[in-house]
Amino acid sequence: MTLERRRTPLKERLKIPLMLTPALAVILLLFLGGLVAGLMQSLGYFPAAGLTEFTFRHYVDAVTDRNFLISLWTTFRIAFSVTLLSTVLAVGAALVLRQRFSGSRLATFLFQIPLPVPHLVAASAVILLFSQSGLLSRIAAALGLINAPGEFPAILYDKASIGVMLSFMWKEIPFIGLVVLAILQSVGPQYEELAQTLGATKRQRLVHVLLPLIMPGVVSTWIIVFAFTFANFEIPLLLGQSFPTTLPVQAFREFQRPELTSRPTGMAIAIVLAVITVLLLIAYRRLARYSRST
Amino acid sequence: MTSTPTPELAPGPAQAVSERLLPERRQINWLRWATVTIIVVSVVLPGVSLLLRSFAFRWHYPDVVPGEWGLDAWAYTIDDTSRVFESLGNSLRIALLTTTLALLVGMPAARALGQHQFRGKRVVEWILMMPIIVPALVAAMGIHIVFIRLGLTATVLGVSLVHLIPATPYFVLVMSSVFANYSPALEETARTLGANKIRVFRYVTLPAISSGLLVACLFTFLISWSQYVTTVLIGSGILITLPMVLFPFLGQGNAAVAASITLIFVAPAVMVLILTSRSLGRGSTVMGGFGKV
Amino acid sequence: MTPDGRCIYGLVTDKAPEVCIHPASLAAICELFLQSLRREDLMIARNRKPFSILLLLTVFALVAAACGSDDDSTPATAATTQATTTTAAMEEAPTTTEAMEEAPTTTEAMAEEAPTTTEAMEEEMMGTGVDVPMYETWEDVLAAADGTTVNWHMWGGNENLNSWVDTYIGDVVKERYNVTLNRVPLGDTVEAVNLVLNEHQAGVTEGGSVDMIWINGDNFKTLKEADLLFGPWSEGIPNAVHVNWDDPSIAYDFGVSVDGLESPWGSAQMVFVYNSAFVPEPPGTFEALAEWVHANPGLFTYPAPPDFHGLSFVKHMFYWAADDYSVFQQPFDQAVFDSIAPKVWEFLNDIEPDLWRGGDTYPTSIGALQDLLANSEVYFGMSLNPRRPSTLINNGTYPDTIRTWVLDTGTLTNKNYVTIPKNASNPAGAMIVANHILSTENQLIQANPEQWGWGLPTDTNTWTQEERDILNSYDRGVATLPFDVLAAAGLPEPHASWPTEMEAGWIENVLEA
Repeated sequence: MTLERRRTPLKERLKIPLMLTPALAVILLLFLGGLVAGLMQSLGYFPAAGLTEFTFRHYVDAVTDRNFLISLWTTFRIAFSVTLLSTVLAVGAALVLRQRFSGSRLATFLFQIPLPVPHLVAASAVILLFSQSGLLSRIAAALGLINAPGEFPAILYDKASIGVMLSFMWKEIPFIGLVVLAILQSVGPQYEELAQTLGATKRQRLVHVLLPLIMPGVVSTWIIVFAFTFANFEIPLLLGQSFPTTLPVQAFREFQRPELTSRPTGMAIAIVLAVITVLLLIAYRRLARYSRST
Repeated sequence: MTSTPTPELAPGPAQAVSERLLPERRQINWLRWATVTIIVVSVVLPGVSLLLRSFAFRWHYPDVVPGEWGLDAWAYTIDDTSRVFESLGNSLRIALLTTTLALLVGMPAARALGQHQFRGKRVVEWILMMPIIVPALVAAMGIHIVFIRLGLTATVLGVSLVHLIPATPYFVLVMSSVFANYSPALEETARTLGANKIRVFRYVTLPAISSGLLVACLFTFLISWSQYVTTVLIGSGILITLPMVLFPFLGQGNAAVAASITLIFVAPAVMVLILTSRSLGRGSTVMGGFGKV
Repeated sequence: MTPDGRCIYGLVTDKAPEVCIHPASLAAICELFLQSLRREDLMIARNRKPFSILLLLTVFALVAAACGSDDDSTPATAATTQATTTTAAMEEAPTTTEAMEEAPTTTEAMAEEAPTTTEAMEEEMMGTGVDVPMYETWEDVLAAADGTTVNWHMWGGNENLNSWVDTYIGDVVKERYNVTLNRVPLGDTVEAVNLVLNEHQAGVTEGGSVDMIWINGDNFKTLKEADLLFGPWSEGIPNAVHVNWDDPSIAYDFGVSVDGLESPWGSAQMVFVYNSAFVPEPPGTFEALAEWVHANPGLFTYPAPPDFHGLSFVKHMFYWAADDYSVFQQPFDQAVFDSIAPKVWEFLNDIEPDLWRGGDTYPTSIGALQDLLANSEVYFGMSLNPRRPSTLINNGTYPDTIRTWVLDTGTLTNKNYVTIPKNASNPAGAMIVANHILSTENQLIQANPEQWGWGLPTDTNTWTQEERDILNSYDRGVATLPFDVLAAAGLPEPHASWPTEMEAGWIENVLEA
């Protein structure tokens, strides 16, 4: 490569832009083109509803809505708990699954099954299992633990959004787990061995060797999962409490209102969401760089 | 030479390692079995209840297994009117074309991002990440209008292109991390030894990136496989895909039909997963690419 | 490089993944080698100045912006939706029209332009002139549609309905008129509306992808107000003689004047559902219902608006609270609303603590409520198709102790329709399908519980006595109320401007209170 560049500097200079062109064209031409229309609507340019003046009113409306903060908090709480719990459990699962034992291959395979399952299907599965008349409740009834569906703990449509979190976690734990598994295997065992020969206990090896090694990778998957959970409306819509709900559900409901004028508000909420996500990503970059440098 | 160790050399050290770590294994057996049990239960239980549900005619509380069985749901699912098989074919075609397009579009970009440092790299990364960050609701309508103008609606190519939008970021993300760990020096060597470009790619590049490539393709395939809103818009109702047949039944329709179509929907995806699982699971580092975003 | 800045050396071929996981010794050498390589790469990189990237980016951004933003010339965009309204309402299209035959309704003389013969089959009509755009006679329409395909977008979550449409409409129009029916299954009617709106915005004025939509209420209002519908045509097709267009419940779709832009398909009427195994005698009034709820906490609930069934329940409460529902037939009036609403909120908040889950949450859809009732989590449900509960018993969803009833104060009714977008590729084919729907032959199949079991939008006074006898001979199903009970209970939907306010009020005063 070095040689090539010296021979034909211009060709070499154009090489990277040319390599990037197809992918950037897909995103910029197809996606950004579409995004512009949405942005214009959120800024109040919406001729169909008789709105032609650019305004930040819809953003102000969205942010000053008396339920905005409650919804934001609910969204954040769900996304944060899901990400935290998923990460902890995924790291645990990965630490177990990286070992070789009889059945480990099958377990690793099963572990990946949720990856191709759409979130909507995951939500349906959670309803089948965990609703007050679901399979678990029936098993409990068969064992004589409860007498009526209402006695089974309410974990769907509940205040704490346990059902929503379960669905998300069912999908996200395998995702994070596989990333951690990959990192663990790329790191290899030599650091642990070194620590072991130096007399570190199992616990010390985990805390001082393994976790620091996988931390940067974990932080970044954390952010992907967080961003995704933060923006998903399907699962909270299906399994969440009617009120308070999450911001993406709020945006979705605005889209569904009969008046054309609430469409820009829906767009504005969705864009506020995107901005918050970007801010979080920037924070993540800082964090990742910080953790890398330490 | 390369980041990929040759398999013949690896067994020795690998086995040595396992033996050295062996003594402590027994102590954490309970943890292992708890983990495995949870994994098995959390995957098998929903699967089994979907299967039961699809064959159930009456399944009221508190029956643990259906009180009455029936084949009505499956009869509908395999009937022409459900359009399941027609849409299965469409979904497969679209997902495969999307994967091919992602290969063409994503590979050069992934290589550029993975192997080169250049000014504006951050900007490029941000742009490529946009479809993940911005909720699809915002862009869907505008994308449709763009596609109408480009004359791409109601075509397999158009639908594949719109699926490419969410798929590209994931594809590039995975492949760029693969390329980051792939040394082009070997290609250089092969070339100086007289191999032409095709032979270099076939015998040097491809073996080194194949497992990562498989995973990137899997992700692309799965993303295309579950697209709904964009397919409805860009497909204009002329191209019916599996999610279009399934989603109306989820939550509001006949639960048995929903369960049987779900099983048809998940089956090919799981098959693809089996094919790629060796690359996705143990011994692979490609998933680590997501740690690099 | 991995995120931790270390070289990955575990990349394996899929041939033998397990053998190369711990290549400890080899890896160390590898890493050293790679690190030296990387350092060199990095140095090269620093010298590069790819200005061309920025240039390309700018060009792309400009092109993209040009592509996506010139929507100024077009009046309509993005859909208004209230998706739930239509899908939910349509799932269950029931029957008041048959009832009208017995009830003293306004079935006066038929439309002027069509002969009042009751045997007006379409074959006899063929040479007749029709009052639709683009075509002079029905023969012209048939000729234009010969060999074409109709893309009919409709909610696809009811397997029976899908089969019926394919069998009793699709197969028939193919055989008789050589028109192929492509039933497009949607998760929500609003998706078809969005398609039409977006195509319009992109300047597709003909050759559009949607030929026909199953629609009513807000989705219709949106398309009508944006002037995106073909027509007027629905009063001009031959079988329109079977429709009583003087009946306001047909001529107004949720208070919006139909004006010949959509043709009726089914009719819906709200009924309450209960499990007779646990509730021997259902309460006949809202007051009695409240008493029952207080006496049996946790066993009653209703879907949260904007679910259409839940919203219907709230509308019904307003009718009850106002004593006189005629005020709701007028456009929204804040003073009237303020005088009635507190009584509704008081009632609903009073029963809330004794609802399912203590009123902390509500089922989000009618499907969720159906599940609750099927599994005896609650003892009550509701349906917009009076026959649907019988169907659900037959298909195994409901236990066979399910029955229906209506409150003494009546229940809401509405119609659903098919409409044709202005830019449809095949309006002729769509009109043929719409016309076939209204044929007495199809109506008898549609009303037959063994085949279809749906409500009829047609006026059976235009039928022959034999046809009416067939209709009356149908077994209505074990949980279905007699027609005269339903007919006597029918109440018109409020004007389209009310439901939004009621929904917002419910969310603010009941859900969030």
